[in-house]
Amino acid sequence: MPATDYQASFLGRISLRRNQVIAMDGNHEQEDLELFSKHVSERFTELLSPPDDVVFDTLLSISWLRKLLDVFLCCEAEFKAVLMMGDDDHPFQISKPPLDRLIHEFLDRSIKALDLCNAVTNGLDSVRHYQKLAEIAASALGQKPIGDGQARRSRKALNSLLMAMSVDDKECSAVKTTERSWSFSRLAVNKDRSPGHLRQVAKKWSAAKQIQAMTWNLVPPRGAEGSGLASPVYTMSVIMVFVMWALAAAIPCQERNGLSATYFPVRKQWSWDQSITGLHEKIAEEWKEKEKKGAAGLLSEVQKMEKLVRNLMEFTDSFQFHGGTDEKAEEAADHAAELAEICKRMEEGLLPLQMKIKEVFHRIVRSRAEFLQALKQGGKSSAPPV
Amino acid sequence: MELPENPNKDSNGYESAEKIILRWDSTASEDAREKMIFETNPHEADLYLQAVDEIQRFLSHASISNNAAASTDDQLKVNSTIQIAMARLEDEFRNILMTNSSASLFDPSSSFSTSSHHELEEDDTVSNEDSSHNGLLQLQHCESSDSSTYRSTSSIREVDLMPGEAISDLQAIATRMISSGYLRECIQMYGSVRKSAIDSSFRKLGIEKLSIGDIQRLEWEALESKIRRWIRAAKVCVRILFASEKKLCELIFECVGTDIDDACFMETVKGPAIQLFNFAEAISISRGSPEKLFKILDLHDALMDLLPDIEAVFVSKSSDSIRVQAAEILSRLAEAARGILSEFESVILREPSRVPVPGGAIHPLTRYVMNYISLISDYKQTLIELILSKPSTGSRYSGDQSTPDMEFAELEGKTPLALYLIWIIVVLQFNLEGKSKHYRDASLAHLFIMNNVHYIVQKVKGSPELREMIGDDYLRKLTGKFRQAATSYQRATWVSVLYCLRDEGLHVSGSFSSGVSKSALRERFKTFNAMFEEVHRTQATCLIADTQLREELRISISEKLIPAYR
Repeated sequence: MPATDYQASFLGRISLRRNQVIAMDGNHEQEDLELFSKHVSERFTELLSPPDDVVFDTLLSISWLRKLLDVFLCCEAEFKAVLMMGDDDHPFQISKPPLDRLIHEFLDRSIKALDLCNAVTNGLDSVRHYQKLAEIAASALGQKPIGDGQARRSRKALNSLLMAMSVDDKECSAVKTTERSWSFSRLAVNKDRSPGHLRQVAKKWSAAKQIQAMTWNLVPPRGAEGSGLASPVYTMSVIMVFVMWALAAAIPCQERNGLSATYFPVRKQWSWDQSITGLHEKIAEEWKEKEKKGAAGLLSEVQKMEKLVRNLMEFTDSFQFHGGTDEKAEEAADHAAELAEICKRMEEGLLPLQMKIKEVFHRIVRSRAEFLQALKQGGKSSAPPV
Repeated sequence: MELPENPNKDSNGYESAEKIILRWDSTASEDAREKMIFETNPHEADLYLQAVDEIQRFLSHASISNNAAASTDDQLKVNSTIQIAMARLEDEFRNILMTNSSASLFDPSSSFSTSSHHELEEDDTVSNEDSSHNGLLQLQHCESSDSSTYRSTSSIREVDLMPGEAISDLQAIATRMISSGYLRECIQMYGSVRKSAIDSSFRKLGIEKLSIGDIQRLEWEALESKIRRWIRAAKVCVRILFASEKKLCELIFECVGTDIDDACFMETVKGPAIQLFNFAEAISISRGSPEKLFKILDLHDALMDLLPDIEAVFVSKSSDSIRVQAAEILSRLAEAARGILSEFESVILREPSRVPVPGGAIHPLTRYVMNYISLISDYKQTLIELILSKPSTGSRYSGDQSTPDMEFAELEGKTPLALYLIWIIVVLQFNLEGKSKHYRDASLAHLFIMNNVHYIVQKVKGSPELREMIGDDYLRKLTGKFRQAATSYQRATWVSVLYCLRDEGLHVSGSFSSGVSKSALRERFKTFNAMFEEVHRTQATCLIADTQLREELRISISEKLIPAYR
């Protein structure tokens, strides 16, 4: 993915418009704003139903997240076009108050979003770790017939997996790095807490706090402001916050306490409000249900995996003591097959998801640079440090 | 127990192998749990490994001979034995790894052995404190590995992270685990232990975990020292730490194929590598301002330097993302540098201070700009590659009073960097002209220009790099300019005085004596004295920093004044 490459020409006006929009006269600005809102609304409404290839009953699957990020990228591109388009008629409009302050706040949120992208990327590495452990169990239990050996082997893996999931979910911030003891006891409470599996973004960094901070000053524009460029800025901000929130909800990342309670300030004036709010509510619902059981991220694949893992744990536990009955063995084999299926989904989907997040990261960086440039050109420069 | 027909006497072998394995079943006995085979007794270890081999042999014979008489029960029993063996080996493997991964064996900060004034110096030799281990390293290579090519990059230095015996043991165990199908467990465990070793090395190298938000908020000075530290640390990481980990993987997993050692390497190193580069990425994202230019260029150069090593160490497909990230950071840093340079122009152009410098002395802006571009010429190598585009002509001759003009025709054949520097000087002068207009006294205005342009000329002459780029042609132009300013200054200052000494009006026409009117003369002299005093007074407050210039001026003035006086 090529990095940004705008040619800085000396004292030349730098062309900011990537998506070349036909030059329009002032009248059309309002139209464009409305179109923008409409498109946002449509795209998010589509997201209310899960993609076709998904079999889960929860929303936050790998496929869905990829779609969500695509939606983000589309909205962002349109947003930038709308904002920069005013340039011809009203040059550097965005550098004038009150828009300049709003843009600065938006850029602040962008920075937080970048850190969140990094946190989520780290979280995806954790998920990949789950996948690897699950594959051990799935393949061991997939063999027929299942013997002592396979049962023990999967038990070990399943144990590590459950430990990893609960570690990632609970404290996340201060994972110890010394790994001294492991237990050989029969019940194999494997203290093999693989250290540092959730890589931190920074000390004392918290995804929940970042997202909450992103909602500060996130106020719907009122009155006359609402008809100008302030409103797409607001819209895009809400989109950004929502997307980051959904990602952090789905994927275990550093410090998510309190994330479920994030408040979304929306006003039901526009159509897009409803679709985004609808999604938010749906996810919050699912979260409430999960919170009782305590899980590592809401990602559907991980949720399903956890359920299967617990089933299989039960099976292997009882196997140890009573040997396997045919019926139970059949069931276990089925579960193992399902688990293998999930692993396959992860294998196919995690890397593209990570790449998509990187794409989002780069887009945010590039847009931020462009906005900063526009603000600079429009505003008066300050005296150089002498 | 019923054994499938196995013609050779190994049926006994199998039994005794099984016995050994069961004896060390850690889930079964306290004793087995407490002792580690490989740690305590190499002979035991050998026996154990042989036992494992025996079981494996048995298993493969059984499957090859396709013996229908082999009952499911027996198969399960063998599998169970294997699992017990593997579980044991896994623990042994982990134990050996952990014993040998403690940080004391490898001190990365010893790689900072001698001081380096210039950060871009090559790494110094690593002093491995446990030098005794080096000598002991005698490893059998199954086959020569392909990766010997990258070792020829002179800046990469692999260290021995573990003693040779440990590596042989690990290799022995790994081979068995992998041939029994326990590859995944092996990779997982290897990765987690080595990752924490790397984490502690990172801590020693002072690599911090900072979010992008943190970096935005830091003061530039604090950031500068972090960048410096990062550059040193990154070199050690790529060239020594990661390279050594890679070698370790290759050694341990030597006989089982390159994919596996690569998988282990990536499992270990990918996270830390991304964490490392995230810092540079954050810097490349942050807003640029003129004072940041040089550190950004340092970072750029260091990364550029490291790029071939990064590509050598991270050579497999699964490490694509790391190489891509490094390349992107590099290009973003270049862009940031370009952005800063471009902003620099407008900063100078618009520098708004209106308070005239007392005595027409050198303006701080002039000093700042000239110092800055001298530094820029130090970074000539890098910048020549970065600045590729010539100034756009759109803003030239714009007729816009607020921007200067520049004649480009005579500057053919100059690099964009040189053009840029000349342009900066043009812009600076333009700004100075504007400032000179704030002087009420015209002569001071000229003096101001003279002093400042003279300073510019001195600075250019003082730096061979700069002089070469600016070129003597333009230098001449500048020199001419300040001389002209000098003349204007002299004229402006002394014109009224000289006026008093002029001849005309002194001669009174129509009188019989063709002399000068005495009263007029007296009048004149009075005025002259007064003016001289006046000028003397004001001139005393004027400053000409450069002694030579002062002398020249003095001489020139006296040359004009004295004859007139006579």
